[in-house]
Amino acid sequence: MTPYSGLPFFCILVIVLLPAAILGHCGRSLRRYGLLATILVLLAVFDNWQAKLLLLLFWGLQTALSFVYLSVRRRCEKRWALWLFLLAALAPLLLVKLAVFAPKLQFLSILGVSYMTFRAVQVLIEIYDGHIKALHLLGFSYFLLFFPSVSSGPLDRYRRFAADLAKAPDPKTYDKLAVEGFWKIMTGAFYSFVAGNLIFQYWLEALPQSGFGAAVGYMYGYTFFMFFNFAGYSRMAIGSAYLLGVKMPENFNLPFLSKDMKDFWSRWHISLSTWLRDYVYTRFCTQALRKKWFGGGRASSYIGYFLTMLLMGAWHGLTPAYLIYGAYHGVLMSLNELLDTKWKRFRKLKKNNAVSILLILITFHLFSFGLLIFSGRLI
Amino acid sequence: MLENIIDIITEISGADEGEIDAGTELFDEGILDSFGVVQLFVQLESLGVKLDVAEFERAQISTPAKIAALCE
Repeated sequence: MTPYSGLPFFCILVIVLLPAAILGHCGRSLRRYGLLATILVLLAVFDNWQAKLLLLLFWGLQTALSFVYLSVRRRCEKRWALWLFLLAALAPLLLVKLAVFAPKLQFLSILGVSYMTFRAVQVLIEIYDGHIKALHLLGFSYFLLFFPSVSSGPLDRYRRFAADLAKAPDPKTYDKLAVEGFWKIMTGAFYSFVAGNLIFQYWLEALPQSGFGAAVGYMYGYTFFMFFNFAGYSRMAIGSAYLLGVKMPENFNLPFLSKDMKDFWSRWHISLSTWLRDYVYTRFCTQALRKKWFGGGRASSYIGYFLTMLLMGAWHGLTPAYLIYGAYHGVLMSLNELLDTKWKRFRKLKKNNAVSILLILITFHLFSFGLLIFSGRLI
Repeated sequence: MLENIIDIITEISGADEGEIDAGTELFDEGILDSFGVVQLFVQLESLGVKLDVAEFERAQISTPAKIAALCE
């Protein structure tokens, strides 16, 4: 069963969120109930014993790694120890991504493994940094498996999530959150099922399979389809989280009004792009500057963007289309920064209304072309 | 510390001498970006100040005065 698709899932969603709304309205903490609801929903979503077993193993591994690393970190501040744990935490994800190439290993796929792995990785990095000094088994498990965002994000942060759990909202605050959450689920369903499906059925499906015109039509249609489908999922996930008292971060902020690619990535799949910024790009650049790998200048930033975006592509999958998509965005981000730093007028131009419209159109097309690569239609 | 910070930012951004003061809005003015913050924080490390880039929102480090306050 796939989250947020099909009547059975939505029936389960109503069944688990209704008691949450009542408990929250009465001012009760939703921590324990939310974990119970997550376990129940996951039991339904992972609908065969093999999938359940794999999820259990995955949870067991990530939990063990985080708790063991927490105690290791108290005695050993070495960076290689972090890398060792990171490799172990990333191993299942790598295995699942590689399984795509070996039909016999298909059974290894775990729904939501990409998102869950990045959550676990974030915990390990923050333990290394000394920001996470204690973990609780239930809290950690709830964060890792949190059902509203298990399959397609948003990608929350452990300390933010734990802070939400620590203070149960008072009834008035909860009611407001719940109403907002309900609205988000409804609008998200509209985005995904009405807008997304209409575009899919009457635009993408109606196009011929080959030809330049069809590819261009597909590029625009696919871009809007991805937005409505993905932003719709995110809205439903965030709305469900709200009803469980968790104020999950937003994932989209009017991305098609972006004036350049840097702006774009601060508005599209925000929780992933900020995750990559904080745990990959910034850390890479910091190390590169400390160790003077590429001198003290911007070279570190360009290489950092390229590697970060390539990783983003690989995170989606290890097929050529995804990797090229990542590399493409790496190059675009670097070119964007080159323009920002070398061409001082670029900043002023971004504030000019007429030029802004042109920049918005260019950015939209750059991203749409990227999605055409992503879709696999070109390769 | 404030003077050190202004000097470092002037150097890494290539701004004119005297262009940046304690209250200059570094991001709005296009003086710092994500990489500029990393450059600044790495240079501050050599002055014995350890700040974690990921721990701050841009609003918290938007002027030299705010950054200096964090270094205290």
